Amino acid sequence: MGQDEQRFRFLSLLRPIERDLENYSRRMVFERCDFEDALQNAVLRAFRAFDRYHDDASFRAWMFKILTNEIFAMNRKRGRVAQFEIAVEPQELEEFAALDFAPAAAGPISWDALADALDEELLTALQSLNQSERAVLLMRAIGDLRYREISECLGIPIGSVMGNLSRARQKMRDAILRARRRSL
Amino acid sequence: MMKCAEVRKFVRLYLDSELDTKESFEVEQHLESCAECAGLFEAEKKFDQRLGRFLRDDLPTRTLWEKIESQIAPSRSRGIKALWPVALAASLIITAGAVFLARSRPLDLARAVEECHSAYAHQITTPEFSGTVPEKIVQQFGGRLDAEAFAYRPSERAFTSSGARLCHVEGIPVALILGRCAETPVSVIVFEKSELDHFPQTKRKLESGDPIACSRSGRFQFAARVVDDHVVCVVGDEPRPALEDLLKTVRRADG
Repeated sequence: MGQDEQRFRFLSLLRPIERDLENYSRRMVFERCDFEDALQNAVLRAFRAFDRYHDDASFRAWMFKILTNEIFAMNRKRGRVAQFEIAVEPQELEEFAALDFAPAAAGPISWDALADALDEELLTALQSLNQSERAVLLMRAIGDLRYREISECLGIPIGSVMGNLSRARQKMRDAILRARRRSL
Repeated sequence: MMKCAEVRKFVRLYLDSELDTKESFEVEQHLESCAECAGLFEAEKKFDQRLGRFLRDDLPTRTLWEKIESQIAPSRSRGIKALWPVALAASLIITAGAVFLARSRPLDLARAVEECHSAYAHQITTPEFSGTVPEKIVQQFGGRLDAEAFAYRPSERAFTSSGARLCHVEGIPVALILGRCAETPVSVIVFEKSELDHFPQTKRKLESGDPIACSRSGRFQFAARVVDDHVVCVVGDEPRPALEDLLKTVRRADG
């Protein structure tokens, strides 16, 4: 494949997911100013490796993996993370399920009444997530990746993906409960 | 048939589309018959939607992406004099490609409403009401929408509607009329014409003399036009001509 043709094909796959990649990068970097560099480095790195990308794989998952590696490297440089944290034991399905439903059990939520308080609390909660919880949550919520794809991206077992996702969601749910208490 | 405890174990996996067809079907069957589990399921869905809105709300920064895309290495010529016909052909291909990409890029409004329709097509969004707009919903318009927006319907016979709901697209309140053409989900999205300023590409297209602005976003076709003081969009997994024809039949029920 010629380089122009390759470039054209790469861009046609990249453009539909630019928004998701940018949202992911913005929320994953520990220093806000790093998000542009992370995106730029990841896209250039992906283009250079594009001849190794195979059509039968998901381009979205492939790009998220490259971007995630780039972001982890940047976060490491900032000295906030010594290495990729996988301080998780694979979770049993029972536990995964048991952590859910807390806000629902606390009664119905009037989302509109929470308004700005909710965004504030969600942002605080997002910042409190460790790197692996944050990556898993964002890959699922922004990247729309399957558990298997996330597990391959991060090189961790599916059980750890589920455990991280569960804990991350629980922290975000707690944020909703805090916002609700504030609005009462 | 699954029991409550089993379903609750699977609901999160169901929402993440991690179950196989058989398990999904069993969860759906249980939710239809158990109000308590259905309530928990709805709460989870709302949580997902709200979290999703918080996390993926920002639009891409065009200037940043233009800069990044421009750095993706263009072709390098080896001896320009000998290769000028190749260089010319390449530049023509790039130009044609750029024109093709510019044309194939979804319109801003098409991209913005895609998520609304996608949520409906995947049965995440359901109607809030049918008939007259309830007062509690009118109160949420914030002066940026009127109840008339909910009165638009295609007069095409094949279109049936199960109801409507208030949604927000890029922070703009819109009437979302949930319908079907035969079996295919089709959304009709209506908002005030004055809000068109938020979608400059679509505005330019509609003001350039085209009565209908069309685009594809994701796997859905999109068509929009101005009717009275409103912008009416139809979105669905339908052939573009069919969607355009449907849009042409949209009228306000009271007028």
